[in-house]
Amino acid sequence: MAVDEARLGEVVETTTTGFWAHCYRLYESPPLGALVRTGGPYPAYAVTHHVATQGIDASRRPVARGADAATEEAVYLSNPQLSQLLRTEFQAVVVGHSVDGEPRYRLPPSPPPIYAFVHACGPEEIRRFTSNVAFLRPLATSGVPALEEVVAACLSLAAQAQPNPNGFLVEAGRQLMGILPGELRRVEAILRGATR
Amino acid sequence: MSLDLHKVAGQIEAAASALNAQGADRSARLDRALGVLANAEPETLEEKRQLSRATFLIPGLGGSMARRYPCPTLPASYTALAVDGSHIDVDRHLPVQCFLINTGRVRIQYGDNPGAWLDSEPRLYADDDSLHVFERDGGRSRPLEGPLLGAMRAVEELRALAALARQSDPDIPTIALIDGSLILWGLAGQAHPDFVRSALLEDLFLPAMDDLRQLARSRPLALASYVSLPRSTEAVNALRLDASLCHYEAANCDMHCRALRPGQRPCDGVSGVLDRELFGALLAEGERSDLFASASSIVEGYYGGHHVYFYYLNAGSEVARVEIPKWVAEDNGLLDLTHALIIDQSRKGHGYPVAISEAHEQAVVTVGDREEFRLIVEDALQRQRLPVYTSEKNRSKRTKWL
Repeated sequence: MAVDEARLGEVVETTTTGFWAHCYRLYESPPLGALVRTGGPYPAYAVTHHVATQGIDASRRPVARGADAATEEAVYLSNPQLSQLLRTEFQAVVVGHSVDGEPRYRLPPSPPPIYAFVHACGPEEIRRFTSNVAFLRPLATSGVPALEEVVAACLSLAAQAQPNPNGFLVEAGRQLMGILPGELRRVEAILRGATR
Repeated sequence: MSLDLHKVAGQIEAAASALNAQGADRSARLDRALGVLANAEPETLEEKRQLSRATFLIPGLGGSMARRYPCPTLPASYTALAVDGSHIDVDRHLPVQCFLINTGRVRIQYGDNPGAWLDSEPRLYADDDSLHVFERDGGRSRPLEGPLLGAMRAVEELRALAALARQSDPDIPTIALIDGSLILWGLAGQAHPDFVRSALLEDLFLPAMDDLRQLARSRPLALASYVSLPRSTEAVNALRLDASLCHYEAANCDMHCRALRPGQRPCDGVSGVLDRELFGALLAEGERSDLFASASSIVEGYYGGHHVYFYYLNAGSEVARVEIPKWVAEDNGLLDLTHALIIDQSRKGHGYPVAISEAHEQAVVTVGDREEFRLIVEDALQRQRLPVYTSEKNRSKRTKWL
């Protein structure tokens, strides 16, 4: 049976506030800031904040292979085993969950289980979940590396799904001012990033 | 107290120094061997070989010995299949007698429709029937451990390779690769009775070879094994028969030279030279040598239509020994296929065939895996309320006390 196109991979490390997911296909991770949803008893909504591709076996470091290859693609074509020996993973911070299909803007009672499927959210699901900017609190207070970039990328994708992108960003800015009091320049930088 | 490396270091230094002193002598022997090779007449040597009774292994010579074959054209698409195994041997300190063979399996397809499939298949042998090799029509048996377990592993590898070949695309030129030798050297000699060889070779190993040969009748499939850094001296041994080194019409080492110590015999002018050194000096990168037929007693006694032939190959980073069965050796298309594909595999694998290398990675059983295996065995026994015990020796090793 073919895997659902929106299904990206599976949870391989999980905590209450975030998880690592292993992508089914090499380099096919959700983009930075993308909203994803897990399976499991309390389907979690999470924002992608870190993507990594490396060798499956940590003791085997990739070596340069393309000295005689015309393109990067040719390196993979002439070494087909590489796609089996490398893996792409992404890390996401949990920003809410769903109960009977209804969004809840707080952490789920228990984290998604290991091997829970991870789905990319479509435009309608993004619109619905991000229409309440309360999802920004767990993201903006998560302390993940490059936080401003991550929040900006997330707002940019969410705004595209909203009927009134500018109004959405104004509302998000207000929310961020409340979450990050006294950090006006930081909020400005995030919003600038979201509109670039 | 563990190993005193300070004391060992001095001994290693002395050994290295002695090796260095032998360097000039080795170089002179290699030059001598190359000189003999350049002027050798293979037909004459082959005739003498058949009349001789030498104490060393001399292969059958078919070609010119010194001939070099350039690398044939690589097909646009091809498939490389490879298997490799590792095992956990029977541990008599464990409360249950068992062993495990883990077979790594790899299929990599190149060209129009590139792709790869890598996996491993562990198999536990724990019942009495699978822990022993039995006499076909008698009551004798031998436990499968040590070299016999090595032979059983080779059986599992070859069966896995035949299964891989069966599933691969029959229209694409395919090489089925094994790491090491096609000859089950562990069964050679007098250490094992004939029924052990019959059971492992005739009943298990050779039927898997038959499967591969059968497949090769309807598709471009070649079987080959790759010996990295070979230590064999068989081709050099053939040179010992040359009239410049052995002036007897037919060599009979025991009769003619029995009184002479090794090193003093006339043919010792080339002793110590390895085949890979000889062909390393002769072959350019990508070239292979002529074919030789193994004269091993186990091959001559059992292999029949799968008689093992071998050639040396300058794969770039090393001179390797490639072994092929008779049905590949006698088919120029398949022979060329092994040559071209192994060169390409070595190039892709930074000096070693990439498919074999990946099969090895799939097969590896780490020290941690072995410990985990032991714990799982003990846990399973406990859940079945069976006694879990170990030898006092093993317990003493595990619990260090003062």
